[in-house]
Amino acid sequence: MMAKENGKKDARPLMNILHEVQEKHGYISEHMLKQIAVEQDIPIARLYGVVKFYTMFHTEPQGKYVIEICGSPSCVLNNGVKLEKFLEKEIGAGIGETSKDGMFSLYKVSCIGCCDEAPAMLVNGEPRTKLTVERLRLLLKKIRENEAKQSDGEKKK
Amino acid sequence: MGKKRSELMQILRQTKLEALEKARTLGPEGVIALMEKRGLEGRGGAAYPTAKKWKTCRDAPADERFVVCNADEGEPGTFKDKLIIRHNAETLVEGILIAAYAVGAKRCFIYLRGEYDYLRPRLQEQIDEVLSRAGMEGVTIEIVRGAGAYICGEATALLQSIMGFRGNAMAKPPNPTTCGLWGKPTVINNVETLACAAQAVLFEDWDPTLRLFSISGNVKNPGVYEFPLGVKMSTIIDVARPVKKLKAMSFGCFGGIMPVDPEMAVTPETICMEKCQHGAYSIIFIDETNNVVDVAYSIAKFYTYESCGKCTPCREGTIRMLNLLKKVRTGKAVKKDLELLRELATHVQETALCGLGQTCGNHILTSLQHFPKDYDAYMKK
Amino acid sequence: MKIKLNNTEIEAADGKSLLDICRENGINVPTLCYHASMTPEARCRVCLVEMDGKLVTSCSTKPREGAKVVTNSERVMKARRLNMELMVPQPSCRREDDYEVCQTYKEVGMGNARFSQIKDYKPDLGAAVIRDNNKCINCGRCVKVCAEIQGVYAIDFASRAHNEHVTPYWENHLADVACIRCGQCILNCPVGAISERSHIEEVVSALDDKDRHVVVQIAPSIRAALGELFGMPAGTLVTGKTVAALRRCGFAKVFDVDLGADMTIMEEASELLRRVEKKGVLPMITTCCPGWILMMEFFYHDLIENMSTCKSPHEMLGMLIKTYYAKKAGINPKKITVVSIMPCTAKKFESTRPEMESGVDYVLTTRELGRLIKMKKIDFAALPDEEFDPALGISTGAGVIFGATGGVMEAALRTAHFLATGKELEKIDITEIRGMKGIKEGKIVLNGKEIRFACAHGGANARKLMEQKDKYHFIEIMACPGGCIGGGGQPIYRDPEVLRKRTEAIYSADRSSKLRRSHENPVVKQLYKEMLGAPLSEKAEELLHTHYVKRDRF
Repeated sequence: MMAKENGKKDARPLMNILHEVQEKHGYISEHMLKQIAVEQDIPIARLYGVVKFYTMFHTEPQGKYVIEICGSPSCVLNNGVKLEKFLEKEIGAGIGETSKDGMFSLYKVSCIGCCDEAPAMLVNGEPRTKLTVERLRLLLKKIRENEAKQSDGEKKK
Repeated sequence: MGKKRSELMQILRQTKLEALEKARTLGPEGVIALMEKRGLEGRGGAAYPTAKKWKTCRDAPADERFVVCNADEGEPGTFKDKLIIRHNAETLVEGILIAAYAVGAKRCFIYLRGEYDYLRPRLQEQIDEVLSRAGMEGVTIEIVRGAGAYICGEATALLQSIMGFRGNAMAKPPNPTTCGLWGKPTVINNVETLACAAQAVLFEDWDPTLRLFSISGNVKNPGVYEFPLGVKMSTIIDVARPVKKLKAMSFGCFGGIMPVDPEMAVTPETICMEKCQHGAYSIIFIDETNNVVDVAYSIAKFYTYESCGKCTPCREGTIRMLNLLKKVRTGKAVKKDLELLRELATHVQETALCGLGQTCGNHILTSLQHFPKDYDAYMKK
Repeated sequence: MKIKLNNTEIEAADGKSLLDICRENGINVPTLCYHASMTPEARCRVCLVEMDGKLVTSCSTKPREGAKVVTNSERVMKARRLNMELMVPQPSCRREDDYEVCQTYKEVGMGNARFSQIKDYKPDLGAAVIRDNNKCINCGRCVKVCAEIQGVYAIDFASRAHNEHVTPYWENHLADVACIRCGQCILNCPVGAISERSHIEEVVSALDDKDRHVVVQIAPSIRAALGELFGMPAGTLVTGKTVAALRRCGFAKVFDVDLGADMTIMEEASELLRRVEKKGVLPMITTCCPGWILMMEFFYHDLIENMSTCKSPHEMLGMLIKTYYAKKAGINPKKITVVSIMPCTAKKFESTRPEMESGVDYVLTTRELGRLIKMKKIDFAALPDEEFDPALGISTGAGVIFGATGGVMEAALRTAHFLATGKELEKIDITEIRGMKGIKEGKIVLNGKEIRFACAHGGANARKLMEQKDKYHFIEIMACPGGCIGGGGQPIYRDPEVLRKRTEAIYSADRSSKLRRSHENPVVKQLYKEMLGAPLSEKAEELLHTHYVKRDRF
């Protein structure tokens, strides 16, 4: 389908608009979907279809830390599955789920391009590579400590 | 000797806007002629002659043209474009500007995969920097952010994504080069192609036979290496340093799985002889501790995530092939299942709409051909 | 250019697709996702042929000079069959099914059903249109038709790979989103994954209930199309047989919606003249199409005042059945069940509108009537011609042309001319608003004033016309391409010629009618004399008029 670029409020590519909305709100809610549909003059059925096409767009609230662990051959050949299972246990959520404490969302994704530092994952979009069980344990510990410090800091205010 | 990242010479050579300057002295047609002389071929996997693509775009009657840099590097085992974006972005940007100049485009896009979004802030800085000094009036370069869809590395799907649609592959004709973004002639080139374009314009001694190899898998020294085509397999293996004995190698997920022959000279012809495709020269090494069927399974899984879902053979065939491999791995498969697997893989290859579907059966057909014992090990007793 | 087609050298025009070339040369190539008026997407891959040794989709491929094309090799056949197998893992075509895919099986041959059904979707049930994604073959025709031809865009594909499925936004039920229930998706679904919510059971129940007096009324479009479900060529007028069949199904009385159409004309022509005279809101837009009403309610809130307040013909007649006829026949209206046979799926929704006091209890589509007749083992083709029951069965040619796009307009003008000038419109056939052109227009002079009118059919054309609406005094909108004869409840057709043939039947019924103007209808005169007084009277407003609401698009 060839679409014409008409005078919309925001002439930026839809992909970028959707990313921004997700960055601001943590996910793309039904409310935001409607807003974008109106502002960009896009039929809402089509807009929903676009959002649901792409793995990185989420239509439900996400954990504070979105973990995308690579499930492609180079990482799998380097012990990736073992780390997956470890993560699931440690954060208390399966692949595709969000942990009950709202801290982590875990996804298995396709190659993230860190094959020379396999196994690898993205945490909120930042690569964490050359993973081992130990490194993961440490990483999760650090994240949890940081969170505790922050919430203490909040309490003190 | 292969050169690792820190010693890479050619791909990291910077052109510092001198290539653009030279291009402007040659004129658009002159640039295209030089590209042809240099013999630059697309580095995204299809190896299409770059000069021909630029000429076709330029010659197509239109009031507007576009240049798109395909930075949706998504083929598993491929990370060479990431290297270029991190360590030679300015040359890449210059290459985009040269392409724009050659075809007569004003608006340019870089489609950057969502998984590389952490590279975007620095890349944006470098784009702004180069544009501020390039003196290309009215030319813009906009980064469009991907969001986790391998298929968007396919040219027609990429354009769909830029235009704000689902990343469906589209039937050809029309061809994007003559009818692409919003119906206008559009050049889509890979990151490496565009960086090479700038280098090829400026450096008289630019060597078209040097390619970037992404090496990964069961090796101690994975990484991006620059080798000339025709390099011996043993050279690659020596540099990559496998841990155990190597059994097989896969060209990404799409290219097929073949045995490792240290004596083989790596060329398109030798790879084709093994019924494989070299693509962007991503090699995933598999050692003898692995059953190739398990690797095929993880590849098949990849395709059931990444198929866009539009055409029947790929949408349905990928999940059926995965289910058959699942059956094999659980020891429940019989000979008929392998026949069906082969039939499906061939069928999808022959009838799918786009390159994803047309190659998603390669790993099955090649592993069946080259590693029948691995399948036998799993078959129902 | 010259190409080789199955070993014969033939001449083919440049730029033609292989599919067109094959068909022109008498070679049948099966298709499923292909739609004659939209760009081919090449999704289903059933139309495969071999070109220069490669399997290609004939719908999207244009050959070059000297191409060697093979359409009947074993390789081609096997490939088509395997794609069918992949699309429909467990085929279940019954003899009575008229889905396109059943025809495709005959052409391609059944595969080996080697795959199990793995789709597991919950059906989407609504009052008018229901969907079952488990049957869907992802051909995308429903999506394209809803978007491009109807301009509604209620559904699209979501998710990816084998999870790709058709859905309204946010996985909503179709009944909960801005869907106009036009049923064009149903007409275009090759596998019946979308169909109308059937009311056959309820109607049969009522027919079996000795306590109920069940009457039926049939729309103009039924008589022009029902025959197709019984092997008759498109365009066969089967009015008499339809009436006979309905009687044998057990309906106590068979009335003609065309009479309701005549009433609509009396009310609507009067309404138009009043607005013109008293400088009311113009353009006035017709409202016998509930699909169009929904479109206005969802997308054009500012047009509410433009809409005629007239109910649609079957709703008008439904009220008259439960008041005038009930009184005349001495039957308690609470014991009367009114069934409308409609070419329309939106009318199933219309009769449930809370804003509309409806006399209609159930709406059956033309297709459902076909099923009912077959269920009752009635040999349709062998039936004699019978007449409608005269109490509410006499109609004019003006009433019957409601079935075609432009028909409401033409009928209204025939009467408006008389009401305004006291003289009959000489040019009774207003041909400039007949035919398949998307938007048609014309003008007429009434008492020295020029009245400009226009018609559109198909949602996308309606949208186009709305951009130009202020040029006109009177607009007719039919949501379905072709008008009601192409409605979502009609027999499924592929060849647009079928629409033309049905339209021809409609106009021939008009030509051969004794009376051709609504105001000449003796029953119409009687109804006003005995009960309603005059058009737009208080009683008429109470029974025959309605109002509309604003609906949120989402």
